[in-house]
Amino acid sequence: MSAKSSLSSPVKDAAKRQRQSILVIIGLLMLFALVLRLRPAPRNLLPAEARVVKTAKPHVCAHTLLENEVEEKKILRSLELVRELGATTIVQFFPWAYAETRAEHFSWDRFDRIVRHAERQGLQVIARLGLAPPWLNDDPDATLNTLPERDDPEFAQYAAAFAARYAGTVDEIIIWNEPNLSFEWGYQPVNAERYVRLLQETYPAIKAANPAAVVLAGALAPTLEERGSSAGLNDLDFLRDMYAAGGGDYFDALAIHSYGLKEPPSAEPAENRLNFRRAELLRQIMLENGDGQKQASITEGGWNDHPRWAHAVRPSQRSAFTVEAFEYIEANWDWLERLCLWAFRYPADLNSYPDNYTLVSADFVMKPIYYALQDYARGWEREGTLWLPPPETE
Amino acid sequence: MTQRDVTKLARTTAAAVMLVLLAAVWRHYQPPNRNIAFPAGEIRIGVDGSYPPFAFDEAGNLAGLDIELGEAIAGEIGLPVRYVNISFYGLYDALITGEVDLLIAALRVDPARTNAARYTEPYFDDGLVLVSAPGNRPISADALSGVAIAYEFASRADSRIRRWESDGHVIARMPYELSTYALDALRLGQADAALVDAISLRLYARERREWQYQHQFVSREPYAIAVRIDRDEAFKLVDRALSTLKESGEVARIVAKWF
Repeated sequence: MSAKSSLSSPVKDAAKRQRQSILVIIGLLMLFALVLRLRPAPRNLLPAEARVVKTAKPHVCAHTLLENEVEEKKILRSLELVRELGATTIVQFFPWAYAETRAEHFSWDRFDRIVRHAERQGLQVIARLGLAPPWLNDDPDATLNTLPERDDPEFAQYAAAFAARYAGTVDEIIIWNEPNLSFEWGYQPVNAERYVRLLQETYPAIKAANPAAVVLAGALAPTLEERGSSAGLNDLDFLRDMYAAGGGDYFDALAIHSYGLKEPPSAEPAENRLNFRRAELLRQIMLENGDGQKQASITEGGWNDHPRWAHAVRPSQRSAFTVEAFEYIEANWDWLERLCLWAFRYPADLNSYPDNYTLVSADFVMKPIYYALQDYARGWEREGTLWLPPPETE
Repeated sequence: MTQRDVTKLARTTAAAVMLVLLAAVWRHYQPPNRNIAFPAGEIRIGVDGSYPPFAFDEAGNLAGLDIELGEAIAGEIGLPVRYVNISFYGLYDALITGEVDLLIAALRVDPARTNAARYTEPYFDDGLVLVSAPGNRPISADALSGVAIAYEFASRADSRIRRWESDGHVIARMPYELSTYALDALRLGQADAALVDAISLRLYARERREWQYQHQFVSREPYAIAVRIDRDEAFKLVDRALSTLKESGEVARIVAKWF
């Protein structure tokens, strides 16, 4: 041992002890931070056993909006109520923006939760895909509906990833929503050729990922907009244009949106009228284009009972019209697989007339239509009434 | 760098910061410029023409409370107005994409929208009102046990009554299909009170001028004008115009005309 090293040894030891102390303090601080972050393990809300939908009417379906639901118990409660209603199927929106939070990085947790719960409740799921991620577009005027054509392959990649992940559980997929409205393209002009090009990109990608997948196209908004309108194009001309552009080769079934507005379900359809049986005019266009072998589903539809909205009916009319619509389908439309009512429940009130499309309120109050539809779907006869008769005013 | 250089640099920086701050303060107190706020030389207002009496089609033209309020605001700012009729679902996206400059569409202030829109002060309140017959002590939301309350089934009032019940009130519930029936029940003495939204009450009372009642708000649901979050000049102009119209009594006059 040299004199130099023997002299410097106590200094080195002190420095070493100091370093060790600092490391211990840092370690303790990290441990403290970790303890602060600890939370009780989340309760597993998934029912232990798979449930079965009891129904006499398998074409009853509801459009859920669980993608914005924060609390898992509310997802569970919503889907329990769907099952108890006697609906076999839900249409559920799976926004691209929620899954691909940065380029080519998919985060599936939120969707897994919904799909797992739906599966456990015995419900089939039709997935609606759309809503572009914000990182895709740095235009300040863009909305989440803005999808420049250069990004179609990105969307197809998302659709394929979704189809592969949920193959065997979610085998029906709707491409985009109401593409005949400029609003649904971020207020860009609409044209069917543009939508067909999106289908051409997406359809083979989904099929490659899940050959059993049924790709639904259309989901067109029922509207009377003329050609050249900045708001969009009517659904009938848009579907004709889709076929003219070769779109028929890129979908397996047609998704239809069919709202009754103020008319009963039996009201005659016409090109210049919006009512429930407008679906027959879309079907006719399918037949004219040799697509009679394809099925269709109404993936949005129903009536609204807001007291002031100009296109609403009374709550009792809404219940009656809705059940009559299902009966009409049973009797007349063998080409239609389901009617999915818009909307089962919103996670929070929208504070306007759209709240009166729901079957169950945001705070889980079942509306008259829920009970009426449940009676129909499950073949029940209910006694008693939900409300008092109007007071005698005369 | 010498100590003197450092001192000089610090002074220069401080002076620059002060100048920037002064400019920001001066800019803040400048009256908003309508040419910057509305460069198209007109105010494009998004409305939902399917929502009477706020906006609706009257012989091919838009009419209603929101339309008249829009006219008054544009008049106050000194620019012509153009209405863009949009369904509820597209209103906020139209604002974000710049299709319209502002929304006057019976919009309740929605906290979930405040990342994209900025709301003016309210111009209407559609909260729930507890209505009772005149003369008696007003029925209070604090003492509801044993009170027979008429309301519309599955409405906001229904949810509120269920919440009161979960708080321990034992309410004699009287659900009706429509809020007008609930108000009929109160008017005819079949219920102690009716719980309805403020618009339903106003519309009902408008048709029955002789009917006397008292009411109190049990919730607040403010309607406001929405402007895109980054349109600061436009927001200032619209908010100031609305304040002026409220102070002059013009907003109250417009509301009274439609209810």
